[in-house]
Amino acid sequence: MIEIRDMSKWYGDFQVLSRINEVIHRGQTVVVCGPSGSGKSTLLRCINGLEPFQEGEVLVDGVSVSDPSTNLYKLRQKIGMVFQRFELYPHMTALQNITLAPLKVKKKTREEAGKKAMELLARVGIPDKADSFPANLSGGQQQRVAIARALAMEPEVMMFDEPTSALDPEMIKEVLDVMINLAKGGMTMVVVSHEMGFAREVADEIIFMDEGKIIERGTGEEFFKNPKSERTKDFLSKILI
Amino acid sequence: MGLGRISKKKWIYYPVTFYVNLIRNIPLILVIFWFYFVMPIIVGRPMDPFPSAVISFIVFEATYFGEILRAGFQSVSRDLIQAGYSTGLTYWQTTRYLLVPIAFRRMLPSMITQSIVTYQDTSLAFVIGLPELVRRTAIVDGLEVRSIQLFGFVAVVFFITCYLGSIVSRRFEVQRERGF
Ligand SMILES: Nc1ncnc2c1ncn2[C@@H]1O[C@H](COP(=O)(O)OP(=O)(O)OP(=O)(O)O)[C@@H](O)[C@H]1O
Ligand SMILES: [Mg+2]
Repeated sequence: MIEIRDMSKWYGDFQVLSRINEVIHRGQTVVVCGPSGSGKSTLLRCINGLEPFQEGEVLVDGVSVSDPSTNLYKLRQKIGMVFQRFELYPHMTALQNITLAPLKVKKKTREEAGKKAMELLARVGIPDKADSFPANLSGGQQQRVAIARALAMEPEVMMFDEPTSALDPEMIKEVLDVMINLAKGGMTMVVVSHEMGFAREVADEIIFMDEGKIIERGTGEEFFKNPKSERTKDFLSKILI
Repeated sequence: MGLGRISKKKWIYYPVTFYVNLIRNIPLILVIFWFYFVMPIIVGRPMDPFPSAVISFIVFEATYFGEILRAGFQSVSRDLIQAGYSTGLTYWQTTRYLLVPIAFRRMLPSMITQSIVTYQDTSLAFVIGLPELVRRTAIVDGLEVRSIQLFGFVAVVFFITCYLGSIVSRRFEVQRERGF
């Protein structure tokens, strides 16, 4: 589904990502962790073409992201993205947030889009919040609307960039539960997160990044039990208090 | 003006920024004087007070309104725009449905406040002999010698109009505190 080959990216002289290789198959969930500034967010943005990269290749469903003839707008419809700070449109209700892209991009009718949005709101557990503005929702509710907004485009891949790190502890679970359901429902997911409980439960692979490189990768238990590099051990000891 | 200040093109950004900083650090009254007394020397013929005052106001207020626009557009975070893109919206769709409406809602209170200030500043056109409200009052005052009532009346007119304006502005600010 996603294939990254020898991908490198620089901001000016500063190398943010260096020679990233990764294959994510359909239906897999990959969790990416690593210290701040290691390039995790940048990696996600390179996958859906929000950031250009200078070397290597990224293929999504066989389509090259960096190929100038690729229609990035079309490609992004297949890749939902959820942000750390929710990034809901503040001037629209939850329902409008969800229906904007289906209406404007997929040219669905208002009825169709509205019906689908209500289904999604029910799926993320807040069917009664359709007409609320983001400012009147809790962080956990906002993030769930953001997930519904991404799902409304019926993406084949969902990317999450630290979806719970801006949330109060009591709201983390409600968001993680939605994500766990998605993963178990067969969605292909790339999740930047330090929620190791979540990683243990659903990750097919865990990647540890530092200074723009993938330092270590492993499947759930193996990753936690026997980290090979010192850096990973050090990092894990900090987050698994 | 506002767009020039967020432009990535250096040849647009620097001249506009220079101009904005120049004008913003000069009192309005001086700009009015300039246009009325200095421009005729450059152009070679005298200017009527009215067009000259209007030009001064445009030159001066454009920089302030430009700065409000800039702040408005910059208040919309890069991530929010990227959230739009990530759902497949195009550049024009994100601009039209996200950037512009959000930015305008956020700048509305300052826009109204600045409009009030501009309106009050019209009294400065007095210095080049333009008969705006205060000046007209002074003329009537010269005829009738009832200064307190007359200028009191003018103050009341200014107060009512500006107060209404600020009420409207405050309503938008309340809305904004709710998350805009
Ligand atoms: N637009 C930019 N221009 C220049 N440097 C940038 C830009 N965006 C990010 N960087 C730098 O790239 C590096 C990687 O950033 P990135 O946001 O991908 O890290 P991250 O792993 O997501 O960190 P965090 O956990 O803090 O979110 C950082 O050192 C950051 O300062
Ligand atoms: Mg990040």
